[in-house]
Amino acid sequence: MPASQPLSISERLGKVSYRNQGRASARAHIVVDTNVCNKTCPHKRTTYVCPANCYTSDESGEVHFQFEDCIECGTCLYACDQGAVTWKYPDPEEGRGVNWALG
Amino acid sequence: MDDKFDCIVVGGGIAGLSAAMTLARAGNRFLLVERGEFCGAKNVSGGVLWGSDLHTLVPDYWNHDDAGFERFVNHRRLTFMDDTAAFSVDFKNADFDVPPFNGVIVLRARFDQWLAEQVQGVIDSGPHPEDSLLATDILVEELLVDGGRVVGIRTGEEKFYADCVILAEGVNNLLTRQVGLQRDYVPSDHFAVGVKEVIGLDRQVLESRFQLAGRSGLTNEFVGFASGGVEGGGFLYTNRDSVSVGLVLAMKDLGEKHRKPYDLLNQFKSHPAVRDMISGGEVLEYSAHVVSTGDMRSMPRQLFKPGLMVAGEAANLLLNSGKAIQGMDYAMRSGILAARNAVRCSETGDYSENAMAQYQSDLEDSYVMKDLKSFQSAVTLFHSPAMYDKMPRILCDFGRSFFGIRNEETPKAVDMLKSSVKKHSSLWEMAKIGFKASRSL
Repeated sequence: MPASQPLSISERLGKVSYRNQGRASARAHIVVDTNVCNKTCPHKRTTYVCPANCYTSDESGEVHFQFEDCIECGTCLYACDQGAVTWKYPDPEEGRGVNWALG
Repeated sequence: MDDKFDCIVVGGGIAGLSAAMTLARAGNRFLLVERGEFCGAKNVSGGVLWGSDLHTLVPDYWNHDDAGFERFVNHRRLTFMDDTAAFSVDFKNADFDVPPFNGVIVLRARFDQWLAEQVQGVIDSGPHPEDSLLATDILVEELLVDGGRVVGIRTGEEKFYADCVILAEGVNNLLTRQVGLQRDYVPSDHFAVGVKEVIGLDRQVLESRFQLAGRSGLTNEFVGFASGGVEGGGFLYTNRDSVSVGLVLAMKDLGEKHRKPYDLLNQFKSHPAVRDMISGGEVLEYSAHVVSTGDMRSMPRQLFKPGLMVAGEAANLLLNSGKAIQGMDYAMRSGILAARNAVRCSETGDYSENAMAQYQSDLEDSYVMKDLKSFQSAVTLFHSPAMYDKMPRILCDFGRSFFGIRNEETPKAVDMLKSSVKKHSSLWEMAKIGFKASRSL
């Protein structure tokens, strides 16, 4: 991908190597109670600040979360002040998470 | 007590490995636990390791055939940008070509791995190579506490014990929180998110484009258009065969302005000055990480407990003073000081709160805490919209008049400057900034 072209987030995440990509399923290291996001959160800030687009907001404004693309940056650990995010480091054997080639 | 270590180090980043190196040289028996597949596998930085502490840790490292750094820094540039212009302060110095360098540019997955190899080398050449261990792929889930004293770690079902633990777990300091040194929830107010691309370039193209010779390198920081009106700034660092290009964005401001970090990164890369520097390159990796801002209000309330010391970014040791973004050198120095204190404690057998507190007091006496304290007002200044938004606009506007020649009667520079200031701010506001800057820098 030439550096001069604007890249989409999915193209960028395509450049990330993840752990345990061969496993059929991985144990989630972040659990989000999206009921909180959708019912009571006044700002839904994670949907803007997450650099891996793990928090998305659909046409109706509903927040969805997936941990598979997470690059363990930690942003949502601070950005969510509503108590909806339970954040742990991924398990090396059964979890997902990154394996930087350059870092 | 054979299964008990003198010290356990949690985290194989720069703070942890610097601690490990210090322990290894002192002949202590230690266990370093890293959750990544290798040391550096989970780590991201901009990144420049400033200063010459690396030389004290790995003497004459520049003579190593494959020393883990990318390039040493002899050329620095600070660029103020608006949407089309770039106004730079540029400094290149041949004195910086001489080891021990002023700073080295690093890619952490390579650098940390190399540093870990150096530590292993020291362990292997010591009297008891089998007694110390760098263990990767292991996640520490809990610190073991007995009667208020930290006595070890739990990883899954296994428990390991030591006289003391050095916590170098990084900015997302879950274990520091577990033992109550940091609040369970830390708000985003004083944190930023860094996003970065490593862009591969042919080495000859890179070296001629950036006027690099041998292993020399350029660091370039950017303010203004770079962060698209969001509190923060940009950077470009030359690696061996690539450049690291990225942004550091204040998390709270980013969220409030409803901007996405990767969209801003695209915008930054599209600026003519940046576009020309990366043209022909190929994106090799995209990465991101939380980064402390240097605001001391986010630091843990103290950096020790009986049997425990906290080092590196787990202690939020990072500072952007306007001159440089320093974090990895703070990690290195704090790791060294924590390990020296651990060695001292192993000689006296005293691991009480008082004995551990000596680490914090050593850190307070070092340049790390002295600079952090004396540049707090600079941290506040750089986070004001006048600095990251108005100032770059004024300078670029002034540059357009000053450097643009029109075959017309030319106003004096001072009048050009006044007119640029009035367009984007006021003389009064800039006078205040000038006064604050003169006191805080």
